[in-house]
Amino acid sequence: MTAAEDMELRWRLDDLLAAVQPPVVPLEQIMRRGNGIRLRRAGAAAVGVGLAGIIAVTTLALHAGRSAAAPATALSGPAVPGGVIASGTADRHAWRLAVQDIADPGYRCLPAITLNGTDANPVYPDPGYASTVTLGAVVSGTGFAFIQLPASISGITINGRRYVPAVIAAACGYRYHVAGFAYSLAQALRVTVANPPPGWAVVFPIVQPSPQTDGLWINTYAVRGEAASGLLASGYLSGQEWSIQVEFGTGGDCYAFNGNGYQMGSCVPVSTPDGPETIAALPLGFPDPGTGAVGYAVPVSPGTAQLAAILSNGSSELATPRVVDGRKYVAFIVPDPLRLSRLTWLDAAGRVMASTTALPQYGYVQFQP
Amino acid sequence: MSEPRDELAAAPDFIGSDDGEDFSAFAVSRWPGLVRLAFGLTGDRWLAEDIAQTALARAYVAWRRVSGADDPDAYLRRILVNASNRRFRRRRVAEQPGDPPEVAVEGPADLVGERAALLAALRQLPPRQRAVIVLRYWGDLTDAQIAAALGCSPGTVRSQISRALATLRASPVFAGGDEP
Repeated sequence: MTAAEDMELRWRLDDLLAAVQPPVVPLEQIMRRGNGIRLRRAGAAAVGVGLAGIIAVTTLALHAGRSAAAPATALSGPAVPGGVIASGTADRHAWRLAVQDIADPGYRCLPAITLNGTDANPVYPDPGYASTVTLGAVVSGTGFAFIQLPASISGITINGRRYVPAVIAAACGYRYHVAGFAYSLAQALRVTVANPPPGWAVVFPIVQPSPQTDGLWINTYAVRGEAASGLLASGYLSGQEWSIQVEFGTGGDCYAFNGNGYQMGSCVPVSTPDGPETIAALPLGFPDPGTGAVGYAVPVSPGTAQLAAILSNGSSELATPRVVDGRKYVAFIVPDPLRLSRLTWLDAAGRVMASTTALPQYGYVQFQP
Repeated sequence: MSEPRDELAAAPDFIGSDDGEDFSAFAVSRWPGLVRLAFGLTGDRWLAEDIAQTALARAYVAWRRVSGADDPDAYLRRILVNASNRRFRRRRVAEQPGDPPEVAVEGPADLVGERAALLAALRQLPPRQRAVIVLRYWGDLTDAQIAAALGCSPGTVRSQISRALATLRASPVFAGGDEP
């Protein structure tokens, strides 16, 4: 290569890559993924392999990595009714932030802060943390947030104009001192605290969500919250091992789709027993042509006994839920070239509870059974 | 009452350890370069951000080791290139028989064509050759540094560069290249 060609290549690469303007570094997501890697490593040491079959569901015991329970906070005063932190109307949609139990009936109480009774963030009472979420086109132009505050701070001010008082909301024996609000995405969000106690800032740090994280709570720093992981399904396809794992926590329902040593990961909104179910799909990576597959994971409503997967060739398979931390999930794979045509929810008597054909090949959709 | 602090340093003291703050500062400073490098390796903007996130997440897990390394950037580059290679293997399976359009070129109209042409030329290269070109001509790395990032010998780096340049030279992107 001549010196001129050398220079030209350098200049063109500089120009090409300088045109890439990265967004703000998603620190919270990065740390969440890092924590997920830690969990996977811990889980990999404890979890074995499962059954064979085109669509298989494991019967292995789950490995749950529950975090230590948070201590009760010393807050005095009555809690707000129904756990409702804040409510209102945005973009002609009613919204409500509340603390509630998101475990299925019969399982240990699992507190979380939810938006509209779904899209849960399983945080513990932990003053100093802010969380934000957007709902994309569902409620465009509006973000939702809550900030956990120490007992000595009675409220916050939004963008220098609006004062939001903190309330005490309770669920599962936990008491949260929290201020919740909706805000416009059209301008930068600035949250200030009047007369902060020692060690606190006047301007509260907020990590803004991005369109890529609609429905996922974005927490400022690694907030303490419920965390658990479990193997949902595994098996062999064309002699190659696959598995689907979930890591449930403040980052969402994060699935790891593993195929022959390769891994795809995705976090989706945490659904609640009464809320819409989030159907996630990702391809599993198999290295040989013709051995691909799409993995599916679905947290299902408490009454679901089985999920029937109808495939593009007319065949059907039944998958049985596994419970991880009081929440039921179903996971399975659909090998190429087949496609998933329909999912049907069945109760214990085999009756159809719900059915949908709006199914993703990649990413997630939400469906209200 | 304490003095107001800036937003980055505004976490309550009991939350952040020194390690966490060090990592945050490291991640903030390296993020743009990582995304650009990953874009050079993949040609896909979304994938580039995802790979950069993966690299930093892995660095976060091994932060003590990364921060204690003689050259933390070399460590990070190695993680990023590995993550990119793994994704390439996955994509090769997931996207058969044909890749979706992955050109994500931004900028003034007169530059867009040139950038798209360069991306197309880079896409002709196998992943390792693409990596050596980007690391050498954009990253200004030495053969030894590139070898460390790719996990190969400096001799392999030189041969890969030679092959990649031969391919690029034949492309219409460069003034001296043969017209198709």
